[in-house]
Amino acid sequence: MRFIGKTNIKFIEKRKFWYAISAIVILAGLISLIFRGIPLGIDFLGGTEVIVRFEKPVSIGEVRNAMAQIGLAKSEIKTYGSRNEILIRTSEQAEGTKISEMISSTLISKFKDNKVEILNEEKVGPRIGAELRKKALYTVILSLIVMLVYIGLRFKPIYGLGAVVALFHDVLVTLGFCSIFSAVPYLNIEMNQTLLAALLTLVGLSVNDTVVVFDRIRENLKLHKAMDFIALVNKSINETLSRTIITSGTTIMVLIVLLVVGSEVTRGFAFALIIGMITGTYSSIYVASSIVVDFTLARQRKAEKEKLLKKQPIPAK
Amino acid sequence: MKKNRWKIILIIISIAGALWYLYPTYKDIQYQKKLSELKGEDSLKFVQQNIDDIQKVKQKRIKLGLDLQGGMYVALEVDVVKMLDNLAKNKDETFRQILAEVKKEALVSEEPATSILLRKFQEKGIRLSRYYGDIRQSDAEIISELEKQAEDAVDRALEVIRNRVDKYGVAEPSIHKQGANRIIVELPGVKNREEVRQLLQSTAVLEFKLLKPVDVTIKVMQSIDNYLAGKGISDTTDTSQVALKSDTTKKDTIKTIASELGVDTATAGLDEFEKFKKEHPFFAYVRVDEQTGIGFVNARDRRIVEYILSRPDVKNLIPPDFEFVWSAKPFTAQDGNQYYNLLAVKKDPEITGKVITEARATIDPENNLPIVIMRMNSEGAREWARITGANINRHIAIILDGTAYSWPVVRTKIIGGSSQIEGLDSPEEARLLEIVLKAGALPAPLEIIEERTVGPSLGEDSIQKGLNAALLAFALITLFMIVYYSTSGIVANLALILNIGFILAVLAGFNATLTLPGIAGIILTIGVAVDANVLIYERIREELSVGRTLRSAIDEGYSKAFSAIFDSNITTFLTGLILYNFGAGPIQGFALTIMIGILANLFSAIFITKVLYDILAEKYQAVIKFG
Repeated sequence: MRFIGKTNIKFIEKRKFWYAISAIVILAGLISLIFRGIPLGIDFLGGTEVIVRFEKPVSIGEVRNAMAQIGLAKSEIKTYGSRNEILIRTSEQAEGTKISEMISSTLISKFKDNKVEILNEEKVGPRIGAELRKKALYTVILSLIVMLVYIGLRFKPIYGLGAVVALFHDVLVTLGFCSIFSAVPYLNIEMNQTLLAALLTLVGLSVNDTVVVFDRIRENLKLHKAMDFIALVNKSINETLSRTIITSGTTIMVLIVLLVVGSEVTRGFAFALIIGMITGTYSSIYVASSIVVDFTLARQRKAEKEKLLKKQPIPAK
Repeated sequence: MKKNRWKIILIIISIAGALWYLYPTYKDIQYQKKLSELKGEDSLKFVQQNIDDIQKVKQKRIKLGLDLQGGMYVALEVDVVKMLDNLAKNKDETFRQILAEVKKEALVSEEPATSILLRKFQEKGIRLSRYYGDIRQSDAEIISELEKQAEDAVDRALEVIRNRVDKYGVAEPSIHKQGANRIIVELPGVKNREEVRQLLQSTAVLEFKLLKPVDVTIKVMQSIDNYLAGKGISDTTDTSQVALKSDTTKKDTIKTIASELGVDTATAGLDEFEKFKKEHPFFAYVRVDEQTGIGFVNARDRRIVEYILSRPDVKNLIPPDFEFVWSAKPFTAQDGNQYYNLLAVKKDPEITGKVITEARATIDPENNLPIVIMRMNSEGAREWARITGANINRHIAIILDGTAYSWPVVRTKIIGGSSQIEGLDSPEEARLLEIVLKAGALPAPLEIIEERTVGPSLGEDSIQKGLNAALLAFALITLFMIVYYSTSGIVANLALILNIGFILAVLAGFNATLTLPGIAGIILTIGVAVDANVLIYERIREELSVGRTLRSAIDEGYSKAFSAIFDSNITTFLTGLILYNFGAGPIQGFALTIMIGILANLFSAIFITKVLYDILAEKYQAVIKFG
């Protein structure tokens, strides 16, 4: 069986068009990130989070009323998983675990005829949240630098740059989509350690497709020394297209399974990675390879110009 | 075949190794199943019979993270601001004002509270010696002393918490220090949050209790023994048979007991031991030193003895002013087994640790042996003189939260409140005793700065959902590979199965923890693992299409695809490594499975399948198809 036979799609020639598309998608994502952002999870926000399961369904309004009575009217209250399960989160800080004790005892006394079971209870002090936020930023930047250095060393510095621009693109697009789709409660998207894990994994995985294409470009450069660079890159992408799509396809397939069948906790993770994998596959062609082409062409032009300048005869006095 | 001989041997060894590491997990699941069927005495008996094996497999099985089995994660931090408040003297309005500012800043700043304090004082031009230490000390000296105090408080709290958690009976707790003044406590399977918070935060109780006289102790133990054996309480047993002759050191005592009873080592003595156990159900587990009345219990029998002592009918046999306490740490006897001491003490303490003003582990200048010097306040010193005077040559146990750390003998009447505790085995033991003696008064309370509790039902839910997702993902991928690559798909699937087996085996072998994100990592690995095979097969298809023979196409496919596979796996591995260093528990579990998955993948998807193809290509070429 074979999905894709021999292709000869002119990818690189259309790169300007796809640059524009990428820019538009990233811009839309950035706007959403700026105006809506991604709700911070308890890890980064600090505060208290309680997830409870009621025996019978309750309305969010009732729970909110109960919370308002203990001065936590501003807390975030939403269903989690099934309708009987409610998540209550507040950034309010108090000594020790007072807030979660308050929340659970209030719920138990308010809903006397509805048995309350506490599924999960988390308290994160304000300093821990701040520490994690800083660490998370460093971690993402560090991973991008490591990729830049590794790809730069294994191939050429330009390739490293192309790969990292593509990665940056993937992370931005994924963050943008996460921000837009954080409105869908089912997906459970919030900025927490799990989402950060998804972003880093994405950095590791999305570079895979890029490496496959780069590897083929390197090989073809040795075989076809005289070939035009654009044609050569195009040939390389076409030759590896089938495997690029299948490897990304299998990964996306398991991620969809994880999203639909897996636990609520990993849903946001799966969603982010699905977006990341799709973007990663696209960007290995239209961003990473295209940037390498543009840089190489620019350098060739510059070299030719210099050559021309040198060849010009020195005017006689 | 011949050129692959060593490779085949390596593969067989690694598969056998994986099975070896996975077996305890399988066995533990079997035991758990069995135990959930049994009830009450039956389950205790079953545990007793198989205790060694149950404990062994439990230790060697794949550990489940708190997010999967439910439990509590608590990070505690010394409340340095409160400590600064407690330690200050001559507190006035200026001090309170400065401390309030320090408190406000310390809440959000990463700067240590002590250095914030120093800065505030310097800004105002006030010397620290106005409130701390004495007038001759410089600011730097005082600050370093305060920092030492904070760190001391952490060590103390660590010991107190360890002791309490041990007694609370949590299976596989993890308690460790993080940085200078944080303690991380992980308690799997714990349900009662309130109790645990109490356990972690309440002030420790340090007491000095007199050991009961030997004859009383042995009499009580005998009545328990007789009762358990079904004899009348008044029945007198020949004490010489059970209470062994006391030797000079405890280690020798144990040796004679062990060899006399032949408990663990000699199988020949086992029947004799069984007979002895029937007649003396209590003394079979608790051996007593005739001179001191101190009991010795093999560490693995401790639970059984605890159970016996907790039975209400047995409790009735223990006089009201009488109490059994365990020693804090087991010691290793000459027979190689670990033993706990069981002490019989007077229930009412002679004095509590509140009177202790100082405790210091040091070296006796006369003989270079470790000692601990303890000082008491004047009120305590008066009491202490009376107590020691009245109990010369008797043991007084130092008991923290109900666990005995030391039971020195009173030599003389101690006047003036300064005592010296000798006969310690090592400087570490002395240091521990110092910590314990200081624990009575906590100048620096601990605050919970992070707490995560996962209810057991959420954990079960997560495991079930994770398992379902993993099975479905596996089914889809294997089906796809077979449909797309025909028989070669089967080879790739075989590699995938081995890959998952290797991941789990490595997790078990390295004592790592499987978390919910870890399961997600395994699921992701299922999707990514076939990548290597896809890259190789596509390459082989390409080589076949340019007219190569099957054999050379396979060789070319493997060698040409390798660099791309290697590079892409390394990049993922590197991000895994970075993530591992960033994250806490669950995320580390994810990073770990990803990293192990990559290594296992390089081995199974490239190495093992290549050997398989070599064998197939030589003997059964017709079966090899690439779709």
